[in-house]
Amino acid sequence: MTDQAIAITVNGERRKGRTEARTTLADFLRDELALTGTHVGCEHGVCGACTVLLDGEAVRSCLVLAVQADGADITTIEGIGPEPGRLGPVQQAFMECHGLQCGFCTPGFVVSVTSFLAEQPAPTDDEIREMLSGNICRCTGYQGIVAAVHRATELIEEATA
Amino acid sequence: MKPGPFEYHAPHTVADVTALLAEHGDECKPLAGGQSLVPMLALRLTGFPHLVDLNRVDGLSGVERSNGTLVIGAITRQRVLERDPQIAEAVPLLARAAPLIGHFQIRNRGTVGGSLAHADPASELPAVALALGATFDVAGPNGTRSIAAADFFTGTWSTALEPDEIVTAVSFPVRGERTGSAIHEMARRHGDFAIAGAVANMSLDAAGRVSAAAISLFGVASTPVRATGAEAALVGAAPADINTLEIGRLALADQEPTDDIHATGPQRARIAAHVTGIVVARALEEAGR
Amino acid sequence: MTTTDAGSAGRFVGQSVRRKEDPRLLTGRGTYVDDMSLPGMLHACFVRSNVAHGRIVSIDCDAARAVDGVVAVLTGTELNVGRGSMQPTLMFEDAANVAVQPLTEGTVLFVGDPVALVVAESRAVAEDAAELVEVNIDMLEAVVGFDAALLEGAPLVHPDKGANVGQDMPVIMPGWDEIKADAAHVVSATFNQHRQTNVPMETRGIVASFDPASGELHAYLSTQNPHEARLVLSRVTGVPEHLVRVTARDVGGGFGQKMFLFRDEQTIGAAAVYLGRSIKWIEDRRENLIASNHARADRTTVELALDADGKLLGAFVDEVEDAGAWPLGSMGGAAPAVGAYFTGAYKLPFLSWHARAVWTNTCQRGAYRGPWMMETTAREQMVDYAARAIGMDPWEWRRRNVVKDADLPYTTPMFMTYDDSISPDATLEQAAQVIDYDAFRAEQRRAFESEGRLLGVGLSLYIEPCAMGMMDPLSTETANVRVMPSGKVSVALGTGSHGQGLETTMAQVVAEELGIDIDDVIVVQGDTASSPFGRGTGGSGSAIIGANACRLASAAVRDKAFAIAAQLMEAAANDLEVSDGRITVKGTPARGIDFAEVARVAYLETAKLPEGMEASLEATHTYKAPPVTWANACHACTVEVDRYTGLVKILRYVVSEDCGKMINPAIVDGQIAGGVVQGIGGVLFEHMIYDPDGNPLATTFMDYLLPTAAEIPTIEIHHIETPAPNPGGHKGVGEGGAIGAPACVFNAVADALALLDVTITDQPLGPREVLDALMAAGH
Repeated sequence: MTDQAIAITVNGERRKGRTEARTTLADFLRDELALTGTHVGCEHGVCGACTVLLDGEAVRSCLVLAVQADGADITTIEGIGPEPGRLGPVQQAFMECHGLQCGFCTPGFVVSVTSFLAEQPAPTDDEIREMLSGNICRCTGYQGIVAAVHRATELIEEATA
Repeated sequence: MKPGPFEYHAPHTVADVTALLAEHGDECKPLAGGQSLVPMLALRLTGFPHLVDLNRVDGLSGVERSNGTLVIGAITRQRVLERDPQIAEAVPLLARAAPLIGHFQIRNRGTVGGSLAHADPASELPAVALALGATFDVAGPNGTRSIAAADFFTGTWSTALEPDEIVTAVSFPVRGERTGSAIHEMARRHGDFAIAGAVANMSLDAAGRVSAAAISLFGVASTPVRATGAEAALVGAAPADINTLEIGRLALADQEPTDDIHATGPQRARIAAHVTGIVVARALEEAGR
Repeated sequence: MTTTDAGSAGRFVGQSVRRKEDPRLLTGRGTYVDDMSLPGMLHACFVRSNVAHGRIVSIDCDAARAVDGVVAVLTGTELNVGRGSMQPTLMFEDAANVAVQPLTEGTVLFVGDPVALVVAESRAVAEDAAELVEVNIDMLEAVVGFDAALLEGAPLVHPDKGANVGQDMPVIMPGWDEIKADAAHVVSATFNQHRQTNVPMETRGIVASFDPASGELHAYLSTQNPHEARLVLSRVTGVPEHLVRVTARDVGGGFGQKMFLFRDEQTIGAAAVYLGRSIKWIEDRRENLIASNHARADRTTVELALDADGKLLGAFVDEVEDAGAWPLGSMGGAAPAVGAYFTGAYKLPFLSWHARAVWTNTCQRGAYRGPWMMETTAREQMVDYAARAIGMDPWEWRRRNVVKDADLPYTTPMFMTYDDSISPDATLEQAAQVIDYDAFRAEQRRAFESEGRLLGVGLSLYIEPCAMGMMDPLSTETANVRVMPSGKVSVALGTGSHGQGLETTMAQVVAEELGIDIDDVIVVQGDTASSPFGRGTGGSGSAIIGANACRLASAAVRDKAFAIAAQLMEAAANDLEVSDGRITVKGTPARGIDFAEVARVAYLETAKLPEGMEASLEATHTYKAPPVTWANACHACTVEVDRYTGLVKILRYVVSEDCGKMINPAIVDGQIAGGVVQGIGGVLFEHMIYDPDGNPLATTFMDYLLPTAAEIPTIEIHHIETPAPNPGGHKGVGEGGAIGAPACVFNAVADALALLDVTITDQPLGPREVLDALMAAGH
């Protein structure tokens, strides 16, 4: 099996690499591009830790082959904030509300929530819990995460007001 | 947990897809959204020397309405079903079913055609297609054909597709007058495959009696199944006279669901009957509005 | 009992300070073990048994070795030679134990038992080759479950031990028969708790690098306990302890699974030394589910004797735990604690118990957040069972039997004394009041009688032994507090934070004691090269042991800083105080000197130091935990059971807890909520199920169901803050949520089903089990 060339835009930067067809986007980001913020928690599409934005939509990067992403625009946790060293509103809200403990699932939550709030800026508690159900956290009991999503809606509103 | 090696093909035309499928036979598998196939590859529960990616094929994506039919391209993402106002208006059942499929991250990638062709007996879209009498447009190396939903699902993860055929589009009849529809399922957690679920599509005549009834069940057999006995009992009845509990029991009368770790067969039947009662009531309520 | 309120909080201690860990973790810049790459690093994959019990006839590695990119395929023949003990230090001398080797030779004992190791240029290639290793096994009958293990003439998991009962500890006190004979009521029931597993979101993993020239082994690990990992790696590889370095940066959860270094990581360490290479092994999720460690899996029979008013006269507890196939630590371990701690929060005049652990052909049992929490599960479920049997409300029963403030200090029948720092009565009352117990009872009756709905309420009350100083290798932590010439402070600790936020809470304590800003403190932990030996993080101990080590080391630094400041300011040291980074004379705030200036002098102008004083400004303190520190809590929840589908919905969940003086209330609440949700998940969703042949049936996240946000209610947490008798007044809080929750949820469901006269005794309570109970009773 020969490696295939891939060119993708990641967090606004053009990146090239070569990989086997069987390599998932998650592994490609981590191993070839050294973007290790995308975490691999189950490798079978359930836990959501590996969630990235693919052409603007939140997807499991363990269920997309890297070759399928050739030419695509990817945003990972490293690219969610406004600039290096600064937190975006969702990240800020997670920090304020103790929405993370071990932090392993966190990148997937932050990416998923960012995508969700862009579409639905004022969700109810039930909508938030339903939206979050595609990501598994084993530490927080989701309490701080639900609070963080509420807080993020405020921070986003303040920023755009 | 890494997939075994394979050769990856990304053709741009349906003809190239079917030619590749014909050439490689059993050693080849089409890859649509990959939300079921990729995990099975990663777990090495299955493996193919060749994968044919449908995502770059022209003309497989999109939604079009014409002549009382809504045609959905096979590679249309499931997320479109819940977002496209045209779908909510023409075939509301699709918009109601979509949120039950996995989670939004799955639906962003998973496709309508992929879910139907994967034919998981516990999944929602096959049951919707069956209840609504959808038609599958299929392409193979020797041309195209249509398969009715009633003939499409042949067993667990198996369909009437030949190995060198793919689904290119699915056509759903647009909702008629005085028609209501509903889908409901019982799953362990939000987004899980259903332990059992049911779909109902009910029409009333001008006098307010049931003129047409379609009920399909999922999770209770190796394919989605129509509850023909229950449907027959509904037709001609006035909604006020309908005992939905009894309809639920009737719907499961000739089903013998199997056991798994989440429910025994009899429990699955009990749950399906309960869920059936709910969807019949909801569909009738909507039809009478 | 005395209670304190938030008014006693300091500038940092007692405040929900934002976590220092968060900015890096929120931006994808944490460093978990799989993020570590070394030049020339190889990747490993285990070949594991796919049968539960069988004799290995042959292992053919030829095809695997021929795969392009494969460097080595190792079996016990290569790797098991000359190994030291693989047991944790805590259990090192346990003679009853079974010896474990890196790779199983002879007889495989469970599905997942490692028999070979493939080392290759990538994990994918290692998996390709692993599929080609042909392991030929003659199958033997598998021992699965308590009944099979205890059956007369059952096949033996470890034939050389002569029995499947690997631990048998009867603590039979005289007089039980007489107590029962005189009792108004004797109630007996058997409770089964099902098998579950920890499931940290980051699986286990190691990158082990051996340099044959220097003889140094450096292991990057996902561990709760870096110093223990170093000791164990040293023993198994033969590399002397000073040449082994363990580094754990960010750790993605553990809940006990990463407390001791497991066999797989040790095997990778051994392989790295054997091959003289760097090897990465990241456990995949299937391995984590089937072959890491399982937990719970208890069967407990409880017999209670009660007087006519429902007051406890005595209890007998028969506990059996399923230890699985191989020891993780000693054989058993938790079962005796179920007996020893059974008293809980009640006045119990008499207790007698019998604890056993059995070997089975299943995955090994290991520590999981509250390893012996069956004492609470069995006791609290029995309380409800017994109360119902004698026609008394379970809350009323608890009120009559709970240890009240006036009863303190109270000594249990197992000779353990609760001092006056516990508050079970107060937490019971608070939890019941907050959940509005009486109003719910009325609503329950109305909903049942008018709508046939099944609502239920459950309580669960417990006392948890935390940070047990009596377990020596887990009893001490050393803090080194080092002030730099600029006045900034570095704290080195042997802890292994894996989500608890110790980089923040320990810094809070140091900043508070030194009177400086928390931004001027960094906590360095998780690296044996930079931190003193310590116990790691587990057993609800870090707040007690780690924080007090930090506090006392900081106090020594502060004393020295005052001595220096006194000299510089010509004041008396005992007249000084420090806050906001400035040391001042009490009552004369204008007379002062910056803490940073003192630090500068301590290193750079040593001639100004008091006569004979050692230059530098740092201190090290080793804190040894008291034998036990008691924490307590009461949980209360309400549920609705869907009688058609068997689904249980939790309506409200309330915790009233007393973890003593809180360092960071947000982190305390996070620990409680997380533990509670694991407990809820355990009862309603999670089940590590085996078929009768020993095949695991929950091998992916499609089958092992973890609770998501959509299934979980808001956890309403209330605090009663009774300081513990240690310098900081802290108690443990890491495990309590998971200890109290299962019985609470179970009792609520049992309460709902009791409306239909349906009785349950076993977990889990998924729809399958709930419907089984309903349908068996004709509903």
